[in-house]
Amino acid sequence: METINIMLGGVGGQGLVLTTDVICKAALKAGYDVKSNDVIGLAQRGGMVWGSVRIGEKVHSPNIPAGKTDIILGLEPLEGQRWEHILNKNTKVILNTKEVYPTPSLLEKVQYPSEKIKEFYQRYEHYLSDFSADAKKLGNAKAANTVLLGVMAQFLPISTDIWKETLRENVPEKAIEVNMKAFDYGYENFKPKS
Amino acid sequence: MNNQEKLVLTGNQGIARGFYEAGGLLAASYPGSPTVEILDNIKQYKEVYAEFSTSEKVALEVAIGGSFAGVRSMASMKHVGVNIAADPLMSFTQTKTNGGFVLLSGDDPGMASSQNEQDNRIFGKFANMGILAPSDSQDAIDYTKAAFDISEEYHLPMMVNITSRVCHSRTPVVLGERKEVEPRKFEKDVERYCMIPPHTHKLQHSMKERIEKLQELAYDSKLNSLEEKEGTDTLVVTSGLLYHNLKELDLNVSIYKLGMIHPISPKKLRELADKYERIIVIEELMPVIENDIKLMGIPCEGKKYFSFTGELHSEDIEEGLMKAGVITEGKSEKRPPVESVKRTPLFCAGCPHRPIFDILKKLRKRVIGDIGCYSMAMFEPFQASDSIISMGATVGITKGMTKANGLTGKSEPLVSVIGDGTMFHSGLPGFVNLLHQKDENDNMTFIILDNRTTAMTGGQATAASGNYTSADDMKVDIKTIIKAMGHENVREVDQFDYEATKKVITEETNKPGISFIIAKRPCALKFKIQENTFYVNPNVCIGCRNCVKTNCPPIRMKKYHNIDKLKSSIDPDMCAGCSVCAQVCPVDAIQPKGQHPDHSKKGSAKYMRQETQKMKLNNEEQE
Repeated sequence: METINIMLGGVGGQGLVLTTDVICKAALKAGYDVKSNDVIGLAQRGGMVWGSVRIGEKVHSPNIPAGKTDIILGLEPLEGQRWEHILNKNTKVILNTKEVYPTPSLLEKVQYPSEKIKEFYQRYEHYLSDFSADAKKLGNAKAANTVLLGVMAQFLPISTDIWKETLRENVPEKAIEVNMKAFDYGYENFKPKS
Repeated sequence: MNNQEKLVLTGNQGIARGFYEAGGLLAASYPGSPTVEILDNIKQYKEVYAEFSTSEKVALEVAIGGSFAGVRSMASMKHVGVNIAADPLMSFTQTKTNGGFVLLSGDDPGMASSQNEQDNRIFGKFANMGILAPSDSQDAIDYTKAAFDISEEYHLPMMVNITSRVCHSRTPVVLGERKEVEPRKFEKDVERYCMIPPHTHKLQHSMKERIEKLQELAYDSKLNSLEEKEGTDTLVVTSGLLYHNLKELDLNVSIYKLGMIHPISPKKLRELADKYERIIVIEELMPVIENDIKLMGIPCEGKKYFSFTGELHSEDIEEGLMKAGVITEGKSEKRPPVESVKRTPLFCAGCPHRPIFDILKKLRKRVIGDIGCYSMAMFEPFQASDSIISMGATVGITKGMTKANGLTGKSEPLVSVIGDGTMFHSGLPGFVNLLHQKDENDNMTFIILDNRTTAMTGGQATAASGNYTSADDMKVDIKTIIKAMGHENVREVDQFDYEATKKVITEETNKPGISFIIAKRPCALKFKIQENTFYVNPNVCIGCRNCVKTNCPPIRMKKYHNIDKLKSSIDPDMCAGCSVCAQVCPVDAIQPKGQHPDHSKKGSAKYMRQETQKMKLNNEEQE
């Protein structure tokens, strides 16, 4: 199997580190070599954060080689668009469309780039939804990233049983049920376009 | 591949596990990125004593004590932490180590979360320590264990030097069993433990001898590995993550991976130099390995092809090796980043720092800042931090600037801000020093942001946390300490009572002399505000943007149906309920949910005043 490279972009506080961790643990359970990064910077909340996971038979560097991203998970639209320079024409874009304004947009100095983001994802095979709203309907907006994982799971050689077992072992006990629902929702409602 | 026994761990978790498996018994640290999770993780092991000390210096001293007493001990800290710990370190490392001793230093090439980029391998060499540099989480476990073994066998303090990327990267590991180590005895031996001349004269020689002996181990140690390829005349010497970044390129070069980067075996390097035409060293930051090899009289190259600053990714390694002529063409598809809106970090919703810096901005004060979440006050829209240097430096700098201004006729009131954690770490000596050569014309106001949390690193306790939660055991009362020093003018504020806080800051900054203001609200991330969230009534909002300028994540201008002008809005999912926006609103357009709007009261200020009573602010002397 060729190494699969997954990029994650988000905002501090959205749970990117846990999401990266879950992907790594699921990949290992499925028998693959795996390496990841998280870069969280200065702030606990609100700053730009990103992570990467590489899954394969043998993975050397945890860093995704430029242009080799297979899947990008944008936990926030702008934070998905930010990484376009490491994507390629076959990259799958999975984007939570719930906008979290950065300071320059909160202060009306720079308009939030909604149009630019639309142009961005239209260049790629994309899967979009307000996953936060979807997760809220299912019981808890915090399970948004699990919906994204459900969408992504369709493209990875890891069984849904392994994903669910990993989620069960890594989310708080009282959140297990909503995470199971969130995963299924993502897995079933965003069918592959290619 | 059988992954049954495998786990994925971060490098930080690996260090913690390695400490445990090595039979480590005592660990101390001060929270700092990228190494904070090491002690967080060590705390899970019941057999071990672990503490976050008040500073890296104290943490190092606690670990020295553990080593003296004969048990395997580790101090872990970020690179700049070693600066404050350097004083005990530089004397301690002269001693013949008793219980195994490891100093874990987390370097930050690229400065993802640090105020500088210093290369602490220099520190390790300076302090005559052996240095191991893990490349992934398995190395983190294995090298930590090896470091303890070497430390005890060679009576040598060891440094494990890890970079931020390895700290946070997750890679598969296989766990081992814990090895219980027989504690050694502390026996009175003044020549060994009392660092004064003439004892130290002899020790200069024994330190040198220890490192020379370790060079012999380095010759064929399993920590260093040689991967030779046929048909190449180039040897790349590298260490840490860069080994994996190089492997990613799959080049026809031989690789000497140094797990132990100090000392390097001259015998081994001479053998390799005889075999290879070119030796190229790939390392981040300073040319430490390169210079060591050059000092052996062996020609090698390195920094002429690779940057002295930032991280070296596979693409950078490829580019450097192309410059060096080792490879002729690259595979890299590196492109410049796309244009995108910056997302600078900001105070959390409900952060108690927000009203303080909103007030300081409005009062147009010169603010001497410090290290902590409040460093972010330097960003827009507050821009209310005019200097940030190092932990606790604000106190001395504020005094020095005030004295210099007085001498040169530029008198200006200065505000110094410092968090409680930073104050306990290294602000207190500065506070005592203010008492020396006091001048009644000096105008300095020290605002202590007592949020009872080391917030920026993820909410570790401070020495004041026990005042707020029974989960923490230290209950130092800051006001009592400052008063006991002899400072008379000390006031407390609840910064969620915006007007009252503004009044106190205005009064104190307008009056000459030394003032202390202790802002008492705890970190909103660690101690949730149990309050109603707020909403904007767009029919009342006049669009003045006072609330927006507090830069709270959920607050922004929005287009409402049937209203032409943009009006403020609050995202209910993100609002924490601090009420600061409601209090800066001039027309009471912001109201708590679940209560009847009461335009005769300012937002929930009434509620907050009741809270202030509950917090028992102790200002009776002033009132």
